[in-house]
Amino acid sequence: MKKKAFVIAAAVCAVATLMGGCGSSSSTNSASTDGGKMIITSYASEPQNPLIPGNTNETGGGKPGDLLFARLVSFDAKGNASNEVAESITPNDDATQYTIKLKDGWKFTDGTPVTAESFTKAWSYVANAKNAQKCSSFFSTIAGFDDLQKDGLKGTEQLSGLKVVDDKTFTVDMSQPDATFPIKVGYLAFAPLPESFYKDPKAFGQAPVGNGPYKFSKWDHNKEIDLVKNPDYKGNDVAKNDGITFKIYTSDTSAYADIQSGALDVMESVPASATKTFQKNPKVQAYNKAGSVSQTFTIPSSLEHFQTNTEEGQLRRQAISMAINRKQIVDKVLNGIGTPAKEFTSPLTPGYSDSIKGEENLEYNPTKAKELWAKAEAISKYDGQLTFAYNADGGAKPIYDAIVNQLKNNLGIDAATNPMPTFQEFRDAVTNRQIKGAFRTGWQPDYPSAENYLFQLYASAAADGKGSNDGDFKNADFDKLMDEAYAAKTTDEANKIYQQSQEILLQQLPAFPLYYSNAVGVAATSVKGFEMNWQNLPVYEELTK
Amino acid sequence: MGKYLLRRILQMIPVVLGATLLVYALVFALPGDPVKAMFGDKPVNEAVAAQIRAEYNLDKPFIIQYLLFLRNAFTLNFGNTFAGQPVIGEIARAFPVTIKLAVMAFCFEAIFGVVFGIISGLKKGKWYDSVILIVSLLLISVPTFVTGFAGQYFLGVQWSLIPVTVSSNTTFTEMLFPAMVLGSVSMAYIIRLTRSEISSNIAQDYVRTARAKGMSNGSVMMRHVLRNSLIPVVTYLGQDLGALMGGAMITEQIFNIHGVGFLTYQSILKGEGNLVVSIVTILLLVFVICNLIVDMLYAALDPRIRYE
Repeated sequence: MKKKAFVIAAAVCAVATLMGGCGSSSSTNSASTDGGKMIITSYASEPQNPLIPGNTNETGGGKPGDLLFARLVSFDAKGNASNEVAESITPNDDATQYTIKLKDGWKFTDGTPVTAESFTKAWSYVANAKNAQKCSSFFSTIAGFDDLQKDGLKGTEQLSGLKVVDDKTFTVDMSQPDATFPIKVGYLAFAPLPESFYKDPKAFGQAPVGNGPYKFSKWDHNKEIDLVKNPDYKGNDVAKNDGITFKIYTSDTSAYADIQSGALDVMESVPASATKTFQKNPKVQAYNKAGSVSQTFTIPSSLEHFQTNTEEGQLRRQAISMAINRKQIVDKVLNGIGTPAKEFTSPLTPGYSDSIKGEENLEYNPTKAKELWAKAEAISKYDGQLTFAYNADGGAKPIYDAIVNQLKNNLGIDAATNPMPTFQEFRDAVTNRQIKGAFRTGWQPDYPSAENYLFQLYASAAADGKGSNDGDFKNADFDKLMDEAYAAKTTDEANKIYQQSQEILLQQLPAFPLYYSNAVGVAATSVKGFEMNWQNLPVYEELTK
Repeated sequence: MGKYLLRRILQMIPVVLGATLLVYALVFALPGDPVKAMFGDKPVNEAVAAQIRAEYNLDKPFIIQYLLFLRNAFTLNFGNTFAGQPVIGEIARAFPVTIKLAVMAFCFEAIFGVVFGIISGLKKGKWYDSVILIVSLLLISVPTFVTGFAGQYFLGVQWSLIPVTVSSNTTFTEMLFPAMVLGSVSMAYIIRLTRSEISSNIAQDYVRTARAKGMSNGSVMMRHVLRNSLIPVVTYLGQDLGALMGGAMITEQIFNIHGVGFLTYQSILKGEGNLVVSIVTILLLVFVICNLIVDMLYAALDPRIRYE
C-alpha cells in the first residue's frame, strides 16, 4: 500500500514536470518580417462576428473588413468620398432613384468579376431579416426593405428597389429621398460579395473573399488575423506594405508594452495609464489630433422642466450648457486627448463649422448661465435633482463627476451622478427609456457625413425606438431641413442645409455636445507613414518600415 | 480504496449539476440584454434581434434554456458562441495555454517554495533564513499586478532582458516570467508553511526518539520530519493547482496570454451563458479531481490515513 501510494505521488510529479517541459520547444517569434516581406502588425481584438461585411458592426471585425472589401466609393483620411468600384452614381431629380455604373476590371480575389449582381444580391442578403445580419437597418431607405422584415422569409428574397440593368449597371429605388446615399454606400455593410458566399456563408465568414487592397490569408482565432497585399487591386488605396497582421491582445496595456519594445508596429488607442505620458515617450511615435467621435449627454426632450419645445426648458438647457467648462474637462480630466465641442458633428466631418449661429451656447459663461437659469425659475420653479447616468465600465466617471461639480458650483442646482455597472445595462435602460434625467451619449460615425450625426440622432423618424434618437427629440422645422438636405443636388448644398439645421439644435439643445474624442494612437519608432483617418484608425495602406 | 474512489466520483454528479444550474442562473440574471448589446449604440432591427434570440434559445424561459444546454452538453455539444464559433473550440484553444501557464507556475512555486522552506526551517535564525523570510513577506504583501507590471516595464521594456508579452506561440521563454509572477505569492506562502512545519516537527518527541535509536540524520529528515511536514503543503498545493487552472485574469491581461481567465472575463461581459457555464463545468471537474488526488496523496504521506 505504502509503496503504491508513493508510485502515484511520483507519477503525479513526473506528469507535472513533463507538462511543464512541453513549453520548452522554443521558436523565435518575429511576425514582423516574413521572408523579406514587409508585414505591419497592428493591435486588434477578436471579431465578435464572422467576417461578413453586413454582419460586422464593431472594430474587431471592422478593421480587417475595411481592408478586405472595396465598396462603390472610398474615403480618404479626411473623410472625403471618391468613387472606387463605381464609375458613377447618378441621382434623379429628387434623389429617389440612383443609377450606379461600375468600373471595368474589378475582380474578387477568387478571380470572379465584380458585377452589378455582386452588389444587389449582397445588399438584399443583409437587408433580409431571415439572415440576421446586424447592419440590416442601413438598408431601410431602399424600396422593398419592409417586405424583408416579415415572418416566413426564406432568406433569398431580393430588395424590390434594386434592379440590375446590365452586368455593370444597376438602379436603386429609395423609399424616401436620400442625398447621402452616395456616401452611405462607402460603409462596410454595402460591400459586394462573390457568388461563393451564398453557397456557404458560414465558411465565408471564417475565410472571406473580397476585392479590397488586401487579401485574406489566415484567421487564427484569439491570436491573429493575417492579410496580405492583393496584387490585383487597382483602387484608390494601393498598399505600400506587403500585408497587415492583426494581433489580438488581451489588453491595451500589453499592446502598449509591445509597441515600446518594437514587437508591435501600430495601435489606434492609448491605455488610460499612459495618456499623460505617451506624447513624451521616446520609445513610441505618438498621434493626437481631433477625431470624429462626438461625446455628448442627452436630457430626454420631454423631461418636465427641461422640454425642448418650451421656453423654460430651452433656458434651462442653455444654462446647463454654458455652466460646463469644456476646455477644463478636456485639459484636466482627459489629459488633452479631446477637443471641446463647437457643434453637433465633428471637425472631421465635411461641412463642419465652428461658427454656426448659437455656437455661443456651447461656450463656458457662468454669469450668463446663472441669468438664464434664474429666468427659467421665474417661469416655473424646479427643485428636483438632475441626475447624470453613465456606464461605469468605460472610464466616464471622472468626466461626469466634473460636470456635476461644475453645475453645482456654477448654477447652484442639485445634481448627482447615476453610474450603471456595465454598458449593456446602461444601453438597456436608455433604449427602454427608463432614465429620468441626463444620460451619456456618444456617436461614432459610420460614414463621414453630417447626416450620419444629425438625422440618425435628432430626426423624428429616428425617435421612439426607431433609431438612435435616444432623447426622442421632435422638431418639425428640423425634420423639414433634413428632408431638404436629402433632396439637395450636391453635397455642398446639403452641408449648408445641415449647418442651418444645427442652429435649431444649438438653440434647443436636445443633447449637449461636450467634446470630440481625439484620434490617438502610437506606433513603433521604426514605422513610417503613421497617420490616422476619420474613423480614428491608422491609414494601414500607407504604413511602411 | 476502489470503493472510496467510486463514492467520491459519484458525489461529483450532484456537485456539477448544482453548480452549473447556479452559474447558469447567475448569467441569466445579469442585467442587460446581450442581443441588444450586440448592436452597440446603433439602431436595433427587431426582426434581426428576434432571429438571433431564436438561434441561441434566448427567447425561451430560463429553465428550458438550462435543460436544453444540459441535453446538448451530454452529447458534448456546447453550442456556438455569439461569434458563430463552436464553444468547444474556444475552450480547446484557451485551456492548453492556461494548463501550460498553470503547470509552470505550479512547478515554480512547489519546487522553490519547498526548497527554500526547508532551508529556512532547518537553519532558523541564520542570515539566509532572514533574507528568505523578508522576501517572502514582500511577495505576499505586493499584489501580482504590481509585480507583473513592474517586471514587464523594467525587465522587458527598459532593459530588454525578458520578452515583453507572450506571442501566440506561447513559448517556454515567453511564459517563464508570467509563470513566476503568477506563482510568486503562493511560493511565498509555501515557504512560510514549510518552514513553520519543519521547525515545529523537528522538536517533536518522535524525532528525538528516532535520533536516540541511532538513525542517521538524513533518514530522520526524509522519513520523519519531511514527510510529516509536507501534508499541509500538499493540501495547499492541491487547492492552488485548481485555482491556477481557473485562469489568472490579471496576469493573462498584463502579458497578453489568451487563456481561460481572459475567455471567462470576455464571455461574462458579452453575456454568453453557454460559454461561461461550459468553462465553469470544466473548471469544476478539474477542481474536484485535484481535491481527490490530494486526498489520495495523504495516504501516501501519512500511513495512519486509510481509505476504505
